Amino acid sequence: MFTTGFKFFFGLFGAFTAAALVYGYTTGGNHVGPISLGWKGGVGDHIGYGVLVGLAFVSLLVSLVLVSFRDADASAQARLQNLAEVLTDQPVAASFWPVVAAFGMGAAAVGLVLHPMVFVLGLALIFLSLIEWTMDAWSDRATGDRAINRELRNRIMAPIEIPVVGTLGVAVVVLAASRILLNVSKLEAVWVAGVVSALILGGAWVYASRPGLGRRLVRILGPVAALLLVVGGVLAAVAGEREFVHHEVDTHEESGEPAVTEEGH
Amino acid sequence: MTLTESPVAESEAAADADGAAAPASPAETLGAPRGLAQPFMTSDAAQVGRLFVVTSLLLGLGAAAIGVLLSLGRTDAVAPDDLFGGLNAYFRMWTLYRASLVLLVVLPLLLGLALAVVPAQVGAGNVAFPRAALASFWSWLIGAVIMVASVLAGGGWGALDGVTGNESDAMALTLLGTGLVIVALLLGAIVVATTVISLRQTGMSLLDVPPFSWSMLVTAVVWLFSLPVAIANIIVIYADLRGRQAIAFGRPESPDIWLQLDWLVEQPAVYAMAVPVLGIVFSAVGKAVDARSSRPEAILVVVGLFGLLAMGGWSQDYFTAPQDLRDGLVYVAFGLAAVVPVVATAGGVGELVMRGSKTRDRLLSTPMLGAGAALKLLGAAALVGALRVIEPLDLLETSATWAVFHGVVAAGLIAGVAALATWSQLLLGPIQQRLAVGAIMLLGVGGGLLVLADLISGFIADDPDLMALALDGNAALNGVVLIGSLLLAAGLAAALFAAASALRARAARERSELERESGARAAGSEAA
Repeated sequence: MFTTGFKFFFGLFGAFTAAALVYGYTTGGNHVGPISLGWKGGVGDHIGYGVLVGLAFVSLLVSLVLVSFRDADASAQARLQNLAEVLTDQPVAASFWPVVAAFGMGAAAVGLVLHPMVFVLGLALIFLSLIEWTMDAWSDRATGDRAINRELRNRIMAPIEIPVVGTLGVAVVVLAASRILLNVSKLEAVWVAGVVSALILGGAWVYASRPGLGRRLVRILGPVAALLLVVGGVLAAVAGEREFVHHEVDTHEESGEPAVTEEGH
Repeated sequence: MTLTESPVAESEAAADADGAAAPASPAETLGAPRGLAQPFMTSDAAQVGRLFVVTSLLLGLGAAAIGVLLSLGRTDAVAPDDLFGGLNAYFRMWTLYRASLVLLVVLPLLLGLALAVVPAQVGAGNVAFPRAALASFWSWLIGAVIMVASVLAGGGWGALDGVTGNESDAMALTLLGTGLVIVALLLGAIVVATTVISLRQTGMSLLDVPPFSWSMLVTAVVWLFSLPVAIANIIVIYADLRGRQAIAFGRPESPDIWLQLDWLVEQPAVYAMAVPVLGIVFSAVGKAVDARSSRPEAILVVVGLFGLLAMGGWSQDYFTAPQDLRDGLVYVAFGLAAVVPVVATAGGVGELVMRGSKTRDRLLSTPMLGAGAALKLLGAAALVGALRVIEPLDLLETSATWAVFHGVVAAGLIAGVAALATWSQLLLGPIQQRLAVGAIMLLGVGGGLLVLADLISGFIADDPDLMALALDGNAALNGVVLIGSLLLAAGLAAALFAAASALRARAARERSELERESGARAAGSEAA
């Protein structure tokens, strides 16, 4: 029931917890401070106690992950799933997450010096790729069948990936389109919005009415349109917003305060 | 027990025999990505190894070009200030040349060779963590780009003549790029070491591991013990540079940053680059003369001893008085003892040649020439290293330091070319022997001239100079250094041409195989 990896790390959890308690009480901890993580009483030397408690929690977390995934042992997982055959030495499928992780590390390094936003983006990429990489590594050896492995992986990750990617896609489109609309003049903004809306409507119509042709079109034109939108958004953001003229008109008769309207040229 | 009795020795021989088809890569069986997607997604460590090899040779050409410019600055022809636009710029290039030859050229070149060759040698289908290998390459490349770009933007590892705020930011980026490069190399080393330890085929003990795989295991252990010390150095310097300068070790307006990291390019740590050279020499010679050692365990001991003597994290002298550390018994003993494994390797190679086939073709084959040249240069470097630690000779803080450095770098590069010729099918493809021999000769002569000139100037210099800006007006030696640098650059260019032609031949072969397969499929469907 309990895997070897779980036993090892759970044992480490117990050992670090005991060490933290002993350390806490021997360095000035009182009452039930070391037991209650400092809630009722002191914990003694904060740094040493903190390190030991931290190690204990990390060990507990690792042990839980290991028991959940059966130590990534293909035969144990196969027994759990009542599968007849297991291929333990399976080739690893191609993946772009290692490259994403590498770019994340690079972005985090550059962001550390240049801009906090880049640093956060790098950390996000590292975090994302670690999750995806872990799931890929687990699913590669879940069973002896690659199609089932892929399905197992998608069953867990698709409910997370699709909403997240969809939200990010919508956010990018909204952000890029809004930068473009704010950059061009008021009249041009109406035209741009109209043309883009018409193109989206036309594309959707083609996709719905001629699925075969539509899929090919989406594959070709989709990335091109996305690239154009992002590049346009970045260029518009760099160029800045159009000049807004603020008109102060005292039409707010009830409150007597001036109402502010704005108009772009 | 000899290696001949090992079933793995046969598998290695089958895997790397020239002319035989390269073993099917595991990724091929999975419908591996092709074309532009391949370098970004491959899970085949051999392909990652090829990426490392070609990219490190490209970067090596850039580093060699900087070396030529630096050598030009030592002659009377051009003043260093005129050549680079100031003392700081000269210092930046001087440090970039040394750091890049180690971190961006020789170490990744050897790591790339290991990723491609080690799995086949130990009878594994792939490395232990193929995705980690890919992450290692890309992290290394991105780190390299950050490192080089930040140095060109005014960063680097310290300065001699004051810095501006922007230059301080660029220095921080250089440090982070260097750290990323080291982390990436460590990741690759872990992949290689785990492959040798855990993925050996059944029945193969560590004593049966072929020399190159064993040398890479030793190298990985040495890197794992040494390079984290450099990362700790970088963290301290970075905290000092960006924080409140509480520690005051990383003042950007001084060369202190470089002085905290220069142990990486000095003995004994610099020998960490040379440990795989011994493995390549044993494997290449063994294959060239078709012989195996009667005492394979002795080979393992020799390589292991050299690895032990290449442990270098302890030897940084920034935090102690240099004379306390470098006149100490351990430092002197390490310096003197480093000669022993190189001499023992020469003895082992002699035994292999005696036992093997001694036809003219075999004795003059590319791997044999490469192994001989690499061993000679490594021997020269170890000998200069031994002279350097003898106190009465007073060579410690002289250009003899760079004689050791250049000897080890040239030996590593030559061993890399010899490995490309030895395991051509596993690596890039059938290599053009004339180009490979040309590269070996140019690198050998160039490296030899640099070792000789730096050693002699170390003896005659009255006033030791960190950067050897001028060799006490000795125009002849400066000229020799310039010629040596030019030959080194030419050798790297020849190696790069050889690699490119091998890749072209490999691509042509793969294309013809694909066409043959599709033709056979079409014929089959017609018949059906």
